Amino acid sequence: MQDFIDNLIRSWGHDPAAWPWTQFLYLAFMGAAAFIVVNFAAISAGIFSWAERRVAARMQSRVGPNRVGPFGFLQWVADAVKLLLKEDLVPAEADAVLFRAAPYFMMVGFACVFVCLPFSHKLIVADLNIGIFYILAVTALIVVGIIMSGWSSNSKWSLFGAIRSAAQIISYEIPAGMALMIPVLLAGTLSTQGIIRAQGGWPWQWFIFDNPAAFAAFFIYFISALAEGNRTPFDLPEAESELVSGYNTEYSGMRFSYFFLVEWGNMWVMSAIATTMFLGGWQLPGLSPARFDALTGGVAVIAEIASLALFAFKTLFFVFVVMWLRWTLPRIRVDQMMNMCWKYLVPASFAGALFVAAWMLLVHEAPWLGQAMRFALTAIAAVTVAAFALRTLKNLRDTGDKFDFTSNW
Amino acid sequence: MGAYAKNVRDTAKSFWEGMSITLSYMFRKPITTQYPDRVGVPVRDTIPARYRGFLEVDMDICTACLACERACPIAVINIDVVKGDGKTRPKLNMERFDIDIGKCMYCGLCVEPCPTGAIQHTREFEGAVMHFDNLTLRFVPDPTNPIPAYKVPKGSDAFPRRPLGEITRKLIKAWDAPPPPFPSMEEAAKAKEHGAPKEGGLDPSAMGRQLAAKALSVKEDKPKLQKVLEEAMAGTDCGDCGYPDCFGYSNAIAQGKDTATDKCAPGGADSKAMLETILVTLKTGAVPAPATPAAGAVPAPATPAAAASPAPPAEAKPEAPAAPEAPASPPPAQDEIPLGTKPPPK
Ligand code: SF4
Ligand code: SF4
Repeated sequence: MQDFIDNLIRSWGHDPAAWPWTQFLYLAFMGAAAFIVVNFAAISAGIFSWAERRVAARMQSRVGPNRVGPFGFLQWVADAVKLLLKEDLVPAEADAVLFRAAPYFMMVGFACVFVCLPFSHKLIVADLNIGIFYILAVTALIVVGIIMSGWSSNSKWSLFGAIRSAAQIISYEIPAGMALMIPVLLAGTLSTQGIIRAQGGWPWQWFIFDNPAAFAAFFIYFISALAEGNRTPFDLPEAESELVSGYNTEYSGMRFSYFFLVEWGNMWVMSAIATTMFLGGWQLPGLSPARFDALTGGVAVIAEIASLALFAFKTLFFVFVVMWLRWTLPRIRVDQMMNMCWKYLVPASFAGALFVAAWMLLVHEAPWLGQAMRFALTAIAAVTVAAFALRTLKNLRDTGDKFDFTSNW
Repeated sequence: MGAYAKNVRDTAKSFWEGMSITLSYMFRKPITTQYPDRVGVPVRDTIPARYRGFLEVDMDICTACLACERACPIAVINIDVVKGDGKTRPKLNMERFDIDIGKCMYCGLCVEPCPTGAIQHTREFEGAVMHFDNLTLRFVPDPTNPIPAYKVPKGSDAFPRRPLGEITRKLIKAWDAPPPPFPSMEEAAKAKEHGAPKEGGLDPSAMGRQLAAKALSVKEDKPKLQKVLEEAMAGTDCGDCGYPDCFGYSNAIAQGKDTATDKCAPGGADSKAMLETILVTLKTGAVPAPATPAAGAVPAPATPAAAASPAPPAEAKPEAPAAPEAPASPPPAQDEIPLGTKPPPK
């Protein structure tokens, strides 16, 4: 972005290094970017809250919220207005300062992630050279917010929820981090844009199909991300049947809505990271990054929009998968969750990293092996998806129903 | 090891199946229907026929027997009946027939005793309103324009009833309808006269003597005597007296099988007084003279004298004067005089 501003200043006929207003312009752009990003996060979280309810409803043969605006789309606005107008209660025995501050820690940890999340070929707030490392680091702030809220609420349910959440997030940081190291190894960079550029537009050029370990790493990352985002089947911190609502039990109104904003906004974050690291990000099929850079004029704008759309499509697909999982799977027990992390995911992710290191040496010697593996994995994935689609269709037909996605919205 | 592999396989399989099932539901039409605006037919038409919804009274076949009012355990139904002499005014008129559906518990006890099936439960159930007063269904819309009671044709057991729900549906107010106006002072003052004798109204004591005279003339002719007696009753054939209809009760009295005069519930005190006058007349053979100049008139200054003056046969004294007095009783009753602590005003 700095380059962009420098170029802008040069086009006005000044030297960015000497021009006195350069720093102010930087500041103004930073403010604008922060505003846009935080609003994007908040609005997408709101829209997901609506989408999740509609998806849940259809999966349960219901209709879901459909009264406010077309298809009930403005439901999230109504909910937000309602939450903002509610009384902001602080329990009498709570630690008022920490209690009030906790939601902001969550918000900050969540909003900071967006700095390094790419949206398209050029659209990224800052392409840090330690991008993915930065993302892993700032998400840890969310744990601070959760523990603060649980502790300061002075309620046993909140504290249980917070401790569960902290244990869960910290445990799953390890497999998630190790799984993300595999694309880093393959790309040779930590920068998110760099990792996308190292992949390609076609599925067999994506890192997920690069080798079996990367394939497994994708699932390890996805499972860990679900756990870090407190999503079902890992929503133990919010287990209604045991903990009322977990760490946010005592919250109301706007502060309460922050927690949910973070939870739904996290769906975008986890899906965007998966897309970036494993699924080729914004890469358009048949347009290599180098040729993309060279485009100028209207074609460049069209390509930019296409890459944005492709990235959004991939990400939204995974957002849908997260919702879909939530309405399919039951919640697991705490011990099962911990078992899964420490006994399976952690060793598997380390083994995967080692395997990839060896694999890269092997492919360096025999490039045809790498190509063959890519095509084989892509083919397997395609067959699996097709079989799954057929199975779904069969389930649909077996009950005598028709494919009908459009009626009764 | 075999069990372990099996567990892994089962897990994978259940994921596969579970995910495909939820996805397949995603692409089906939801089975829920959306009330109230996306239902094919109005919901009230889909609920069972014997559903106990809001009550409805078809005033065209209501006999004003008040059986429903008496049956209601929680006084939801309010009926005001004004009596006429049967000539210039119909015998029974209903000035008011209110059912407070906000209070009703939908027990159905009022429906059971109705002789004509005028009061029925409909399948209406949507009555949300902003003002509680709008929940009172007024089946007599205008009290100044009373509705005459239905006279059941002898022997009929089926009554022409309007389609169920039609009347109530019209009476249910819109949810945001304004409340009925609070009565002004003038209206409240007027309401005091409510139920007071009106022109062409019934003068029970006069009518009682009239009937008594008639009864005396047909004393031996039981069927004719029965007719006279029946005239003293409300004539709604409600069956509250324990006989199937007014004929049954009046016949029993005519035959001397029944001597109770207070069984006609719709007729109330008026019927009781008239029947008593007739019975006393039949016993004594003389129609009692009017006890007071006019029932309900000025403080009845010479009550003791009036009581003494008619001088009917001695044995009639205790009841006869009391009888015509009973309905409208602002002046002190005869037998109260000796007991009264205050002497009657001079
Ligand atoms: S249904 Fe029951 S409560 Fe309602 S008016 Fe009839 S008798 Fe009274
Ligand atoms: S006829 Fe039926 S509705 Fe009318 S007063 Fe009698 S019981 Fe009630």
